Amino acid sequence: MTGPPPVRVEKALALMPELEALTPLRALLVSIARPDEATVWSSSGPYLTLGKRGVHPDELRRRMPQAFQRITEHLQALFKGYVEALECQQRGDAPGVVVALLRAGRLEEQVGRHTQARNWYEVALRVAEALQDRRPEVEVLRALGYVCLALGEYAAGARHFQRSLALAEAEFDQAGATAASEGLGDVALAQGQWGGAQAWYSRGLRLAEAASDAPRAGRLERQLGVLARKQRDLAAAGEFLRRARERFEVAGVADEADEMARVLNEQGRLDAQLGRYTAASAAYREALAWAQRAPRDARLELSIRLNLAELDLEAGRLLEAEAELRRAEQVAIGGHVIRPLAQIYTLMGRLRGAQEDETGFVFFEQALELVKAVERSVATEAQVYHAYGLFRGRLGQQDEARAYLERARELFDSLGEAVERERVEAELRALSA
Amino acid sequence: MNSPVRMEPSAPSAAPGRGEVALLRILVVAGEGGSAGGLLQNLRQWADDGRLEVDTAPDLPRAVRQLAGQRWDVVLAVLSNHADDDLAWWVDTLRGATGSPRLIAVAQAPSMGLVLRAEKSGVLDVLSLPLRREELVRALERVRSVVSETAVPLPLVEPHAVGPYALVGQSPAMLDVYKLLARVAGSAATVLVQGESGTGKEVAARAIHVNGPHASGAFVAVNCAAIPENLLESELFGHEKGAFTGAVTRKIGRFEQAGNGTLFLDEIADMSLALQAKILRAVQEREIERVGGSETIPVDVRLIAATNRDLKEAIKQGRFREDLYYRLAVVTIRLPTLMERGDDLVLLTAYYVRLFAERYRKKIHAISDRALELLRAHAWVGNVRELRNVIERAVIVATDETLRAEHLPDELRGEETTLADRPQGGLLTLAEAEARHIARVLAHTNGQIGAAAEILGIHRNTLTRKMKEYGL
Repeated sequence: MTGPPPVRVEKALALMPELEALTPLRALLVSIARPDEATVWSSSGPYLTLGKRGVHPDELRRRMPQAFQRITEHLQALFKGYVEALECQQRGDAPGVVVALLRAGRLEEQVGRHTQARNWYEVALRVAEALQDRRPEVEVLRALGYVCLALGEYAAGARHFQRSLALAEAEFDQAGATAASEGLGDVALAQGQWGGAQAWYSRGLRLAEAASDAPRAGRLERQLGVLARKQRDLAAAGEFLRRARERFEVAGVADEADEMARVLNEQGRLDAQLGRYTAASAAYREALAWAQRAPRDARLELSIRLNLAELDLEAGRLLEAEAELRRAEQVAIGGHVIRPLAQIYTLMGRLRGAQEDETGFVFFEQALELVKAVERSVATEAQVYHAYGLFRGRLGQQDEARAYLERARELFDSLGEAVERERVEAELRALSA
Repeated sequence: MNSPVRMEPSAPSAAPGRGEVALLRILVVAGEGGSAGGLLQNLRQWADDGRLEVDTAPDLPRAVRQLAGQRWDVVLAVLSNHADDDLAWWVDTLRGATGSPRLIAVAQAPSMGLVLRAEKSGVLDVLSLPLRREELVRALERVRSVVSETAVPLPLVEPHAVGPYALVGQSPAMLDVYKLLARVAGSAATVLVQGESGTGKEVAARAIHVNGPHASGAFVAVNCAAIPENLLESELFGHEKGAFTGAVTRKIGRFEQAGNGTLFLDEIADMSLALQAKILRAVQEREIERVGGSETIPVDVRLIAATNRDLKEAIKQGRFREDLYYRLAVVTIRLPTLMERGDDLVLLTAYYVRLFAERYRKKIHAISDRALELLRAHAWVGNVRELRNVIERAVIVATDETLRAEHLPDELRGEETTLADRPQGGLLTLAEAEARHIARVLAHTNGQIGAAAEILGIHRNTLTRKMKEYGL
């Protein structure tokens, strides 16, 4: 009476060739996938992953018009951006061309199409390079820097930010110089180069303060707080975060709700590192409240929920951790945000490891599948292998643990990620000892 | 035949008993850009009988701080234009708040879909703006009735221990199961355990193992549905180093691990036909080959398989091998659902309360009458596993010696406050009844519109239109 059972996502995805044209269909399929109630309560329920969720072809067909509409809207906006660039070209308004192309690139970034965004920015850069006014070029280079950062291409990102900074300084463009310094700090932080990050963020902060740019200064202070925490200077981290929070409060919290959420998210991580479980939990909860006030940003919400789950996991509150991870999973699947989904499954695997449950390996396998096949991310893949190695080691499977840790080291090496690589190296040494 | 489990009320506990006047602490939270002042004034005017303590939070972040710092009975929250998102956020936030306060949501023209989603999430009420006195007073009265509960002591339970697990229950259905388990355990016969999700198939399998001839060997359980299909074969039969990408070392499979013991294959219906053929060979020939290996390895294991599916139906549909079915179902044990077990629910509740109270170092000796009513009224789709989860979470959040309704999850608490049960204005409009029924059918078909339309006997386009109309 209720028709055939749903098709499992793992089988549905196996039927879909790797074609650019099918990406929106893949996204739609993932976002409508859900477990049936009987599966949730079956003995495989605790191991439920995206691949084991089900989709009904009927529902996919029914939702297709909505997907087509979104695709059409996106394409229309891109085409419009291009036509605007063309009109500017016709009028001899080259800066206008750059603005239109940048806008199109940003649209691509918003839907997670970073490679396509870079293509738009590269065209914009060629136009901007021919201008007498260098400020559009400063902006395009910064956009290129961030898109490279998102793609994990740190060296290329650093080059773009460096050039942006040099041009901004030559043009006395203080805002441009501040933003480029922040970008350089972000690249250094992503690579674990603490000294470099410290220098760039501090420089950016001085420039932002000189320009009375409170939101930018607040952001830089938050990043300095992140850096101090990573360097285990927890008192300094607390001070930076306190000042960042004050800046946003002065700047008008209504406009900076997402920034407040980020500061509180970081405050939670700091409290967690200090072993202040209750304070950390309260900070994360308040961060979620601020995130709720800002325009919906699934990645921000997921970052907070992942931290909350990790806090519960480390405090041995495994039930709470699992509940939080399942909520995060729903947000990630609904919003088709794949990279955090891989992180969620990695944490689920760690959780099962803490319960000495060998079947927990299915979460690592699913996370790897996602970062290799659905949305490629070398950095996340390295993190998954790292956690997988530790999971195997905990279960006494030393050979497999070593193999996975070696793979993680290789991947961190390819990214130039020094700190994580060193951690993996230390774990490999401990395994051999 | 066992007599029904009787539970007598005990002396009143810390919470107010029936007839006592409960002081309600209410936190009023304004929506974005709004002010809670008007609401606060209304509350004080309309319900100013000295039994309310009211405070306000100007925005969500400050509400979170207040919720973390103090205990509240009720949160009266004004939802913004994104009412669905706000509602989901509130439900999530209140899960972590001290004392599990109940939510009364206030929204501009709430849709039927919002109301139904709110009910499902355990929200006490959804009121529409502008607020009307009688609606608010009625909602507060319902809060009062919910917070007054009477404690009843938990009965003593004698479980049949199965290692770290236990068989609990005295219902006729379970007594039949015990008899069958005792008969089958002594032999080495292959057993098929059937039953809905969460009925305790693995516990039954363990009971057979520990009381059988293979008890000195290992009990190895494999969940066939949990493991990705491409990895299941190597998980069961093992693999040689380099057999496939990722086979970094030789792996001993579960069949070998269970040598001289019992291999429990759970959710066997989820296995592919190709793998079923390999299992059949292992059962018939009593030998296996590792993936990528050429050596034939003899295995001496007792096989117990379990499923929550109708295997005969799966055979008809060509999804399960008939020859394998007859190999596995030498003896079949069917486990009853929790609904079929009557008063076992109370015994299981008592057993789990004691188990988890010990684990989490709590002293819980009683359960409130209202909590018990909620447990009895719940549908228990997940059977004993669901009950176990509910009790574990309740024990974690319980703060005194009685397990109360407030410690139970929102889904259960929502069931006591459905629109249909409302004391006044309880009769539904035709549209409300229709929306409610459509929502129920959609839940039954997992949101599949075609199947739902078929059940409702209407065209799918009509159903889509009605879903849109009711905000479902």
